[in-house]
Amino acid sequence: MSVSQQQLQQRQLQEQDVVGIEDRKAQAPISDSPYVNFLGAGIQVLDNGEPVYQMSFRDQHVGNPLIKTFHGGILASFAEIVAAHHVKSDLQLSEEPDCTSMTFDYLRPAFAGTLRAEPITVRVGKRFIVITVDVFTEKTLVSRGRFIYTAVR
Amino acid sequence: MAKRNFQYMDMAKMFFGGDHPLFKAFGIRVDESREGLAAMTMPCMPEMCDQRGALHRGAITTLLDSNCGLAILAYLGDMRPIATIDLRVDFLAKPEAGEGVRGEVECYEVKGDVAYVRGVALGCSNDSVLASVSGCFAVGTHGPSFDGAVREKAVREKVS
Repeated sequence: MSVSQQQLQQRQLQEQDVVGIEDRKAQAPISDSPYVNFLGAGIQVLDNGEPVYQMSFRDQHVGNPLIKTFHGGILASFAEIVAAHHVKSDLQLSEEPDCTSMTFDYLRPAFAGTLRAEPITVRVGKRFIVITVDVFTEKTLVSRGRFIYTAVR
Repeated sequence: MAKRNFQYMDMAKMFFGGDHPLFKAFGIRVDESREGLAAMTMPCMPEMCDQRGALHRGAITTLLDSNCGLAILAYLGDMRPIATIDLRVDFLAKPEAGEGVRGEVECYEVKGDVAYVRGVALGCSNDSVLASVSGCFAVGTHGPSFDGAVREKAVREKVS
């Protein structure tokens, strides 16, 4: 089996893990703020310690009710909450940092379903921290956000 | 022309302020919608707050995204389908605990299939700027127009 085939198989297994995880593990809220609770944004930790951020569609998340898509503000909210949690846990901060600026690209319609977010730390500087978050429905990338936080020291 | 605008305003107010589950949950109210300008207000509802008891920045983003959409519809004068391409929000200050937020957005240009918007979120207690927004939206996307649901409801009510 070639390296690329092995990588593909590994990735498929990881994706199956993520898809099937709802049945196996309890999901905890990302933070204890009422808005996060309203969204139903949760975090699950895989056996390997990796966090998986998810949010399932609720009626109050709808943008266009005729085609049942997530509202753009809800998608951006979810991604920003994930980014803030990622910064806090990665840098072991006592509180969430302040978001200074966000840009959000809507790449495809996000139809009702379960969203999964993957944060990446782009840079931790002395004054600013830059995070990107990719948001998926199933395996489809639907949006990408870039968030800038002021560093809390 | 005046009649068409009246119908559009009616539809816009029904869509954004009536039975729409998200706008209902957020308590979003349309204050103004005319010639590319739109203003909306969101009260400080407990479930939309952060740990400080102030509106969460995600809720403010949701208000601003909705407000951008309404400003574009106000520019177009109809409710053809639109979709956000990209949105930028700069958070300048935090709202006070319990304070409502007002969004004011202008659609300043529509070029081809793209509409451009800019605006601000203001604290209701003293009109201080909490956030600024800019973005662009695709106009005339696939799918039914936004007033489809409102029209369907009106027909159902007429029949029954």
